[in-house]
Amino acid sequence: MALNPLTVRKLKRFRSIKRGYYSFALLMLLIVVSLFGEMFVNNRPLMLSYEGKWYFPTYGANLTGETFALDYTYETNYRDLRERFQTEDNGNWMLMPPVPFDPNENNTYEGVFKPAPPSWMGGPSGHWLGTDTTGRDIFARLFYGFRIAIFFSLAFMALTYLIGITVGCLMGYYGGIFDLVVQRLIEVWSNIPFLYIVIILFSVIPSTFSIPARIGMLLVVMVLFSWTSMTYYMRTATYREKARDYTAAAVVLGAGPIRIIFNHILPNTISTVVTFMPFTIVSAITAITALDFLGFGLPPPTPSMGELLKQGTQTLTTAPWIVSSAFAALVFILILVTFIGEAVREAFDPKKFTTYQ
Amino acid sequence: MKNFRPALGLLCGAALIFLSGCGKKETVETVSNTNTADEAQAFYDAHPEFFHTKTMADIPADLKWDNGNDLPDLGSPDATKGGTVNYWIQDFPRTLRIVGPDSNGSFRPWILDDNVMSYASRHPNVTSLNEDGFHYYPGLATEWALDRANKTVYIRLNPEARWSDGEPITTNDVFFNFFFYRSSYIKAPWYNNFYSTKYAGVTRFDDHTFALHFPELRPDIYSLSLGTVPVPAHFYNEFGDDFPERYQWRFAPTTGPYTVSEKDIDKGRSITLRRNKDWWAKDNKFWRNLYNPDRIRLVVIRDNAKAFEAFRKGDIDFFDMRLAEDWYDKLPDDADEIAKGYIQKIKFYNDIPRPTYGLWMNQSRPLVNNRDIRAGIQYALNWDLVIKKFSRGDWGRMNTSSDGYGDFTHPTLKSRTFSIDKALDRFARAGFTKRGPDSILLNDKGERLSVQLTTGYEHYKDVLTILQEEAIKAGLDIRIEILDRTASWKKVQEKKHDMAFVAFNVGPELFPRYWETNHSANAYDKAFLEDGSVNPERKVKTQTNNIQIFASPEFDKIIDAYDRSDDLEEMKKMAYKMEELAYDDASFAPGFVIPFMRHGAWNWLKIPEDGNVKIATSFEGYRMFWVDQDLKKATKEARKTGESFEPAIRVFDQYKVD
Repeated sequence: MALNPLTVRKLKRFRSIKRGYYSFALLMLLIVVSLFGEMFVNNRPLMLSYEGKWYFPTYGANLTGETFALDYTYETNYRDLRERFQTEDNGNWMLMPPVPFDPNENNTYEGVFKPAPPSWMGGPSGHWLGTDTTGRDIFARLFYGFRIAIFFSLAFMALTYLIGITVGCLMGYYGGIFDLVVQRLIEVWSNIPFLYIVIILFSVIPSTFSIPARIGMLLVVMVLFSWTSMTYYMRTATYREKARDYTAAAVVLGAGPIRIIFNHILPNTISTVVTFMPFTIVSAITAITALDFLGFGLPPPTPSMGELLKQGTQTLTTAPWIVSSAFAALVFILILVTFIGEAVREAFDPKKFTTYQ
Repeated sequence: MKNFRPALGLLCGAALIFLSGCGKKETVETVSNTNTADEAQAFYDAHPEFFHTKTMADIPADLKWDNGNDLPDLGSPDATKGGTVNYWIQDFPRTLRIVGPDSNGSFRPWILDDNVMSYASRHPNVTSLNEDGFHYYPGLATEWALDRANKTVYIRLNPEARWSDGEPITTNDVFFNFFFYRSSYIKAPWYNNFYSTKYAGVTRFDDHTFALHFPELRPDIYSLSLGTVPVPAHFYNEFGDDFPERYQWRFAPTTGPYTVSEKDIDKGRSITLRRNKDWWAKDNKFWRNLYNPDRIRLVVIRDNAKAFEAFRKGDIDFFDMRLAEDWYDKLPDDADEIAKGYIQKIKFYNDIPRPTYGLWMNQSRPLVNNRDIRAGIQYALNWDLVIKKFSRGDWGRMNTSSDGYGDFTHPTLKSRTFSIDKALDRFARAGFTKRGPDSILLNDKGERLSVQLTTGYEHYKDVLTILQEEAIKAGLDIRIEILDRTASWKKVQEKKHDMAFVAFNVGPELFPRYWETNHSANAYDKAFLEDGSVNPERKVKTQTNNIQIFASPEFDKIIDAYDRSDDLEEMKKMAYKMEELAYDDASFAPGFVIPFMRHGAWNWLKIPEDGNVKIATSFEGYRMFWVDQDLKKATKEARKTGESFEPAIRVFDQYKVD
C-alpha cells in the first residue's frame, strides 16, 4: 500500500518516540491477548485427554459432568476433575490456562465467601491478585473488565468520530445558514446533562435485554451525547481548507461535495483528529468506570474495573488488595494510552521545525 | 371525571387569557386558616355519628378496668441520666413534621415511633396473651377497659400528662386527632383512609376520660386504641391547606421525653435531640429507667463504610454490625479496640415477626405463571449455601411468609431445600427437558429457562450472584436487575417484575396479615365471576402488595373469615391452612431470616443486664442505654496511654428461637 510520504514520515517519527511506541506495542499486545482471553483466563482446560479421547472445552458448548462419568448434568468443574485425574493416575490429564478461574465464579476462602489475599501474600494459590467480596478472582475480573472497556471505548471512538467528523465537515464546507442552524442545534443538544440521561435511562431499561445488548445501549447513549465536541474542530479545519486552491481546483474539475470533503479535505485535516483519538479513549474508559462505580453502568455480574473500585473503597481496611489492584490496573491502562497520545501528537505536529523567537 | 375535562380546559384557557390581558403579576397569598379550633368544632358538629359528648354517668358501671401496673418494670435500675450519645443518620431529615409529604423517612422513629408515649404500650418482654390480647403497661393513660359487646375501649388519661411545652393533655387532643388525620390538609391519603375506616367513633366524658368505638372487634383492638397518640390541638392553630410548608420545620409538642429546638438543627449536617428534664413521666414505673442521655446527637454520614470508620474512631457511640464483613473481618474479636475492652460487641437474639426476605414470583408473567416452574425455581435456589458461606452460618432459613409470629407460625411446614434433581424434575414437567450449550434448559420450542430477578437491595447483590451461579447447575438462568430502591419498588408495584427480591417489613403484631399479599382483590380488578370461575377479562391490579398476583377463591374465603374472626384458636388454624396453600402455590420462595441484632458499642454506653427487650428491632428502639461519663473519660485517657479494660463480647440468647 502506497502511503503518503508525509504520513510515512509521521509514522517514522512516532516510532522514534520510544515511550509512546512501546506503550502502543504493549497495548496492542494486551488487546490481542484479550481477544483470545478464554485461552489465558478461564476455568475450562485448553485441552483434556479422557479415556483416550481428546476434548477442547475452551470454546463451544458446555461439557456436562456426565461426559466424564460424574453424577451431574451441569457443566463440569474442571479443577475438581483435575484433582481426580491426579489421584486416579490412569493416564487422563488436562492442561489448564495460566489463570484457571472464570470471572464470575464465586470461590470460598476459609469456608466462606470473603475476599482472599493474593497468593503471594499468603492467600490461596492461583489467585495472583486475590479475590473480591464473593471470592471471584480479581485478575480474571480485571482482565475481562479491560477487554470490555477497551473495545467499548474503541467502538465509542469510531462512532463519535464518524458522526462528529461528518457533521463538522458538512458544516464547514457548506457554511451559511446550514452552519448556523446546526451549530445552534449542537449547542442545545450539548447542554443536556449526559449523566442524568444515562441514570434515568438505565433505571428504566428492562433487563430482558441481554448483557451485550445493554452494553450496546450504553454505548449508543454515550455516543449520542459525545459527538458534538468533535464538530467544532472539524468545522474550523474544513473552513480553512475550503479556501485553498486545491479545493477550488477540485470544484472546477467537477467533483461533488462528498468527494471533495472526504477525498480532498479530510486527508489534510486528519492530523487534528488523530491527536485527539487516544484522549477520547481515555475519557471513554474513565466514563464507563465512573458509571460502574456509581452503579449505573454494566449490569452485574459483568466484570468491570469500576465495580471493583467500588468494592475496594468499602473494604479499604480489610481487603486493600481489591482497591489497589483495580486502581493500579486502571492507572496503568490510562497511562499507556496517554503516552501513546503524547507521541501521536508530537509525531503529527506540523510545527516540528518551527522555532519561536 | 371525564366529563369535567373540557370544562377544566376552558377554565384554564380563560384564566390564561385573563392573566395575559392583565399584564402585571398577580401575587397569590396562601391564606392560612387561623381559626383552627372553630374549624375543628365545625367538623365535630358535622359528624355527629362519629364524635359524641356524654357525661361520666354514661360510662357503664360493670366495666373491668385494667392498668397493667403489675407488669415488670423496664430498663435497668442502675441507669443514670446525663451525657451525650452520638449516632449517625444517612440523610438529613427533609421535614420535622410527623405526617405529610417526606415525613415517612428514616428520621421519623427518632421523633415519633421511638420517642412518643402512647396511652399504653405493649409490654415488650411479656409477650404471652391474655383474653384481651397482648399485655399493656400505662403511658398517658392510667387505666382502660374493653367493652366487648359494644366494640369499645374506655381510656382514662393521667391528669398529670403534659405536652412537652407544658400544656395539659386532654380529651380535646383526642378529638383533634381525628380531625387532624382525616383532614385533606395533611396531604396523606393513607392516614385519611385509616382514621375514617378503622374507627367507628369517639366519645368524650370529661377532660380525661374518653372512649374509642370500632366497627369490628379484632383481637388486636388494643393496638388501634391504646397504641395511639393524641395530637396537640393548641399547636396546630394555623392548620390549613399550606400545612406541609407551614409546618415543615416546626417541631410539634410531643408526649415523649426528647424534643428538637431550632438551635439543635444544623441543616444538612446534624440534628440533636434534647431530653426534657421536667418530663412529667420521668419517675413513673416503666419509664423511669429509659430515655437516659441528655442529648442524642445525630450526624449525617452518607456512606455506611465511612460511618463505620467514624464509629471506630469514637465519633459515634454504636454501630449496627449486621454484615458478616463488619462483625468478623473489620472488627474481629482480636481487634485492638475489642481486646483492650474499648468497644463491646453485642449480639442479641430477638423474637419478632421476620421481614420476608425471599423471591416473589409474579404469576401474570410468562414461565413463572407455571406452578411446576415456580416450584422448580424454589428447588434451584441454594439459600443454604448463602446462609452457610455468605452469612457464615449466622442467618436462618425462612420457612413461611409468617415466620416469627410465635404460635401463629406454622409449626411443621418447611421450605424447599436446594436439590438439582427435584428442580430438573419440576422443570421437565413444564416441558424444559434438554440443556442448551450454556447448560440452561430448553423446551421443545427452543425457549430458554431464563427469568428476570428485580431488586432494589444493592447491599444484597452478592447473595443474588451466588444464587445465580448455583441456579445454572439446575439449568435455570436468573437475570439479575439491580435498580435504585424507588425505581425497583415502583416496578414491583406496577407488577412488571418476573421475580422480585424484596422484604415486607412487619411490625411486632399479634398475627400475620394475608389480605394485603394474598387476596384476589389485590391481584385483579375482578378476579372471578359470580359462579367462581376465572374472569377471562380480568386485569392485573397495580399499586397493591399482592406482588405474586395470587388469586384463589378458596384462599379468599379463608382470608375473609380470618379477618372477621375474633377467636384466636380458629384464626391460628386458618393461618396454618393458608400457609399450606401458599406452599403448594409456590409463588413465594422464602429466603433467610436474621434472628438477631448485633452491634458494636463503645464501653461507656451501658445496657441493661439482659441486653434488650424480647421484641427489639434496633439497639436504640427502647432507649434503654445510658452513658457512664466517668468511664468515657477513662476510656479516652486509656486510648492515649494504651491501658486496657476487660474485653466485652456479649451474646444474649435468652430469646433465641430454634
